[in-house]
Amino acid sequence: MRVLLVVPAFNEEVSLPATLAELAREAPGLDVLVVDDGSADRTAAVARAAGVPVLVLPVNLGVGAALQTGFRYALERGYDAAVQFDADGQHDPCDLPPLLAPLAAGDCDLAIGSRFVGRAGGYRAPWARRAGMRLFSALTSLAVGRRLSDTTSGLRAYGRRVMRLCLEYFPQDFPDAPLLIWLARQGVRWTEVPAHMRPRRGGTSFYTFGKSLYYPYKTLLASLIAMLRTGAGRGGSAT
Amino acid sequence: MTRAQLIAAFVAALLGLAVLELVRRRKLSEEFSLLWVVASLGAVLLAFWTGLLTAITRALGALYETSTIFFFGILFVLVVLVYYAVKLTALTQEVRRLAQEAALLRLQLEEAERAGRPGREDAGGRE
Repeated sequence: MRVLLVVPAFNEEVSLPATLAELAREAPGLDVLVVDDGSADRTAAVARAAGVPVLVLPVNLGVGAALQTGFRYALERGYDAAVQFDADGQHDPCDLPPLLAPLAAGDCDLAIGSRFVGRAGGYRAPWARRAGMRLFSALTSLAVGRRLSDTTSGLRAYGRRVMRLCLEYFPQDFPDAPLLIWLARQGVRWTEVPAHMRPRRGGTSFYTFGKSLYYPYKTLLASLIAMLRTGAGRGGSAT
Repeated sequence: MTRAQLIAAFVAALLGLAVLELVRRRKLSEEFSLLWVVASLGAVLLAFWTGLLTAITRALGALYETSTIFFFGILFVLVVLVYYAVKLTALTQEVRRLAQEAALLRLQLEEAERAGRPGREDAGGRE
């Protein structure tokens, strides 16, 4: 199975080198692609210096659109799977083999690294974010008729079929609950795999205060619309 | 003909002419001009033909002619705004697609250049 690690990066010149070095050390068999999402700093130069191919978006499009660009690249070059991996060092390369195993075995089309499943732990978000994550997990679980513990996880492995679906519809900013609901409605099978989260290495989070007001609204609306969308509802809820 | 009628007709006609002039100078596409030309023609018509305005007001069951004008005016503005929001969404999607394509092509070009001119800068220092 040919796997591409897609690393969306927006102004990550500080943390990117260490993340790439760690990936080269801990996951040497995997190809890495950095998608520079219109950064104002030296993100692209830093990635090139690490010997990694870089897609440079001329304008800032958002995490979702950057990831989608990576999917286009992966599909064009015949990769079997793409892994979404954060540039800021929050994800641990040691979670990659268990994440990819169910995909390679053909058990699912989408594997999600969850902070709340199994042994993994040590992750504690601020209470407001925790409440939001719980709300959206509950909503998504209800919508797809299956328990899902971590809709906001940024560590996921996508198979070819899911990548192709993601070219049709993909939230521009955060590929969270609405995307998962829509994918479930398309009959995508997924599994959750335990994953670790570490504190970010540098730079600032995508989730800023201004967005913290807009985000819940947008996610709720998009989730409701994703539920109403007609389509093959095989993976959808029976309730 | 009252002064209010004259002013209304004058403003509506001015708007219509301004829109046509913008189209002539290619600052406004025919597609976007259509709504405005139709609206200003309607306003001029109603300014002169008060009988029509009164008839519409009766048909709607409204009490005053001014309500009719405001009703259609606000409705028109709402329709235009929604139309623009739809257009804006389509444009956003197109720009996103183009930006993605530009990034993919740029990487392909860089790779082709590197492969086509071996030893120029490739030999040193990379990786």
